[in-house]
Amino acid sequence: MSTTGIVTNIQRCSTEDGPGIRTTVFFKGCPMKCLWCHNIETIDPDPTLVWYAVKCIGDQACVRACPESALELTADGMRIDRTLCKVCGSCEDACPTGAMKVMGKLWSAEDLVEELLRDKVFFTTSNGGVTLSGGEATFQVEFAIQVASGLQKNGVHIALDTCGYCSEESFQRILSHVDLVLYDLKVMDSQQHKEYTGVPIERVLSNARILAQSGKPVWIRTPVIPGHTDSEENIRAIAKFIVENMPNVERYDLLAFNRMCTEKYTLFDLEYPLKDTELMTDETMEHLAEIARKEGVPLVAWSGMTRNSAKGISTKEPEVSSCGN
Amino acid sequence: MLMPRVLLHGGVYTLTLDENSIPFIKIWAPSDNLSERVQKLRTHFYSFASRKETNEPYSFTTGVDWDEVYSVHDWANEPAIYPFFPSINQTLKSMVVNVDLPEDYWNHTLAKRKAIFFHEVMTKYMPVIIIDGELIVGFNFNTALSRSLNKSETSARNKAMKKYFKEATRLNEVGVGTASAVPGHLIPNYAKVMRIGLRGIAEEYEALLERDLSAEHREFVEALILSCLTGRDVGHRYAKKARDLALSETNIQRKDELMKISEMCERVPWEAPTTFWEALQSLWITHMLVMAAESYPGAGLSHGRWDQYMYPFYKKDLESGEITREQAKEIMQCYWIKHNYVYDFQGRLGINQGINSSFGQLMTLSGCGPNGEDLTNDLTWLALEVIDEMNLFEPKPNVRLHRNTPQDFLMRVAEMISKAQGSPFLMNFDEHSIEGMVWQGVPREDAWDYGIVGCLENTMQGNDRSDTVDVNFNLAKAVELALNNGKDMATGKQIGIKTGDPRRFESYDQFLDAVKKQIVELIRLLTECGNMADTVRAKYQPTPYLSALMDGCAERGKDVNEGGTDWNFNTLEGMGIATLTDSVAAVKKMVYDEKRVSMSELLKAIEDNYDGHEELRQLLRSKAPKFGNDDDAVDNIAKELSMFWAMEAFKRNNSYTGRRYRAGYLSWNYFIPLAPLTAATPDGRRRGEFLSGGVGAVQGMDAKGPTASIRSVGKLGLETVPNGASHTITLSPSMVKTPEHVEKLAALLRAYNEVGGTALQINIIDSHTLRDAQKNPDAYSNLMVRVTGYNAFFTQIGRELQEEIITRTEHIL
Repeated sequence: MSTTGIVTNIQRCSTEDGPGIRTTVFFKGCPMKCLWCHNIETIDPDPTLVWYAVKCIGDQACVRACPESALELTADGMRIDRTLCKVCGSCEDACPTGAMKVMGKLWSAEDLVEELLRDKVFFTTSNGGVTLSGGEATFQVEFAIQVASGLQKNGVHIALDTCGYCSEESFQRILSHVDLVLYDLKVMDSQQHKEYTGVPIERVLSNARILAQSGKPVWIRTPVIPGHTDSEENIRAIAKFIVENMPNVERYDLLAFNRMCTEKYTLFDLEYPLKDTELMTDETMEHLAEIARKEGVPLVAWSGMTRNSAKGISTKEPEVSSCGN
Repeated sequence: MLMPRVLLHGGVYTLTLDENSIPFIKIWAPSDNLSERVQKLRTHFYSFASRKETNEPYSFTTGVDWDEVYSVHDWANEPAIYPFFPSINQTLKSMVVNVDLPEDYWNHTLAKRKAIFFHEVMTKYMPVIIIDGELIVGFNFNTALSRSLNKSETSARNKAMKKYFKEATRLNEVGVGTASAVPGHLIPNYAKVMRIGLRGIAEEYEALLERDLSAEHREFVEALILSCLTGRDVGHRYAKKARDLALSETNIQRKDELMKISEMCERVPWEAPTTFWEALQSLWITHMLVMAAESYPGAGLSHGRWDQYMYPFYKKDLESGEITREQAKEIMQCYWIKHNYVYDFQGRLGINQGINSSFGQLMTLSGCGPNGEDLTNDLTWLALEVIDEMNLFEPKPNVRLHRNTPQDFLMRVAEMISKAQGSPFLMNFDEHSIEGMVWQGVPREDAWDYGIVGCLENTMQGNDRSDTVDVNFNLAKAVELALNNGKDMATGKQIGIKTGDPRRFESYDQFLDAVKKQIVELIRLLTECGNMADTVRAKYQPTPYLSALMDGCAERGKDVNEGGTDWNFNTLEGMGIATLTDSVAAVKKMVYDEKRVSMSELLKAIEDNYDGHEELRQLLRSKAPKFGNDDDAVDNIAKELSMFWAMEAFKRNNSYTGRRYRAGYLSWNYFIPLAPLTAATPDGRRRGEFLSGGVGAVQGMDAKGPTASIRSVGKLGLETVPNGASHTITLSPSMVKTPEHVEKLAALLRAYNEVGGTALQINIIDSHTLRDAQKNPDAYSNLMVRVTGYNAFFTQIGRELQEEIITRTEHIL
């Protein structure tokens, strides 16, 4: 029998999650709780109900359909009583517009593999493939392994996009089913790591060494968050770690902070803690990249929105980059 | 660019706000490296408001009081101009110039009369203008020529044309579609003119006269020979003009050029060209004369595989040292600019709805050979450079891609798409296109050499008039009729057949059957009307000059318009396949499968145009499956319906011309004018909202991105649509921001060749940029976008079309 798992989104034609044209699968559930998290819906391992104000026409079909009476449309919007809500999906079915949505769908590994194979020809012509992301794919490790091995049998290139925080055993097992690892190193200072992500860094570093031993190609990624990860010392420390420990690193990407997830936080009745933080500048990004290059990291690239590029662009941009509109 | 700095906003003229505003992205613009000559010529074209030379029409008459110089069937695929037909007709009549004709003129067959008339006009009446600095000459070609009919022919034609146009107007007014017989949209055998000259062709026709021909056939062949001589004599007029100018020219270099032009025009297009420059000169005169002969400037008259038949001249001259690559490029640039003067008659209309650039003198580039091998050559590459550096409307290049397209060439194509917002060309995909040609009956050993006309329509070269865009069919109308027992909902008129009260349909199959019956009936109505137009044209509008350039006409003794060519199809272009599909899929799911909505509720909501039925409308929009998302359930419905109507079209023909109908998906702008003429549809669309364009999804409904959209299109069974299918995808500029990304775009194109459709156009633009362009048109005057099959300057197209393009790009949220 096929293992099942929970997935929040399948993003086709993704061009930012590894080589070529890719389909990125966002697994639900993450052991970290990064202060700057962009995919907040993926932290909780269980399906979650959300309400999109912009789509709601106020017909209250959801309120009538809810068997738990967990919904109430108030002057301030939909109130979801999360203690009553069992995330049964009745409201989502009833809603005519898609304003009520359950984030996180149950997939069998078999069905998911079949779905992911739809863009096989695009993977082939572009040397792309599937990226297992999230959330954190290793948080549902059995499911992730089944999906990865199913894809492997079909000759699909698999990238694992991971925060590196999982058991050594899980990590070892999944590694043998992936062709490339996109590995996050966020903050090298142990105390800060715990403060910003909720977990200590030691496991992340020990897994990084395991990854180094595996010899698999690795792309290291650092989200450059103003006031948190953007210090010269931090970038230099990460670069040093790469040079000293990880000969299999092919490139190092510095990903500039953006605020495009601000809207999404409101879906969960939350406020994005960094909503007023300023964007990086081109100059600082280039400077940080230069620091990493000086340490001897072979290929350092930076990308993302900056104060220079963001002219006239609203924060309502999609947070997932893909080639399509 | 010399453009009036005034923009029409909802009826109010407002000055543009900020002339110093900087575009969000780098807009494709002419290169700074253009030579002074080319810059000057380019500016000359764009200064249509101020320059003295103009290619606006000249009207010519035989002088008899019943004479006609205009035919509505030539233009009737564009309903927006129906109200102007009488005034255009009267204006052209009022400006006629009398042409002196030989005494025995009226004793000849119509074809011969037309050939004589054309010869007299082009050799004695049309102005001969050479613009300062140009290296390729031939200016005025916009005509309104006498139909050269005698009194009884005129009366018979007018009666038949009136009858046809009454029916065409009726079908258009109830939103069924349009039927016409439009000139252009074919590829004359220019390759043969390059090989043997018009003289070689005339000699073949002389040889035909040795045979035992009927008197009528004989006169027809004589008319073709005279037409070839017209080409020769027009060349001679330009030779003389160039010589005269040279005599008074003080600049030594220009004097030499004019003498060279004079020598060339003494020879071509009559003789076979000997150099690359001469070949381009020959090609231009030959081409402009087709537009003059058909009294139809530009639309769809296409070059075919230009880089193939021009390459031998280029190669020889380069090898012999006759010219350098740079010189070849400048001559090409001069040749390129010539094509743009087709827009002169639109130029003065101003910005909004002025030049809409919807004509296509297509140039087919690259593509495969008989064994699937790649035929890209250095001239193909040079043509891309010219396109890249010129930023012009015309000629419109189509690049043929296939399995063996070399990676460096594909990368160059992807790079140009990226930096020019997708506008410079459209791509046709050989393997799928060739399957369509084979399906319609072209032998496989010939089909590889197809060419492209109009926007993206596949035809054979030099022997094929397949009348693309003549008959245009609103597929979504079939749903309206199936839901209203065959009656148009707005007027209550019985248009379709009585398929019964939909509330009595007991199953989805019954509903689908009703839709199909309406499709069959609408195809009957449109093709019968199309046949009326086709027959009027065949009987009363022979075009001997064009027939001389089309294989098969001389031997058969039949004009190109009578079905004289080897391949004669009439194309039925389907509009709104996604609107039709989504509507049928919504009824299937909501009414029959899940029974969430009753047929009565749905009918009431549609009758009310969804006013007061917002919940139902949202349900249909959000919860029923939509074509374009790689969802097999709905894609299979699309395939079933697409193949059904395509096969149905293929059953119909015009026995008078022998033209058989074939299917196509070129929606041009029809998704806009047909929108108010189509009732609300079960996919949640209200009356007035646009129909889907080409084979694309309903605007905003392809939520899964380009790969899913490509796969959906690839499932349509498009071999049954030999004309080809217009597919537009819009990519955000971030997709192509680095060379690594451009490589991904190239890979996307390669995959399209495997799993997609026949033709693809890409817009690389985001909605911020387009909104900004609406506000600051001056900053974006060069911004070209792709609209089903043609490119246009965004700030110069109508507001409705602008909004449609923005809608397509905005749904990413």
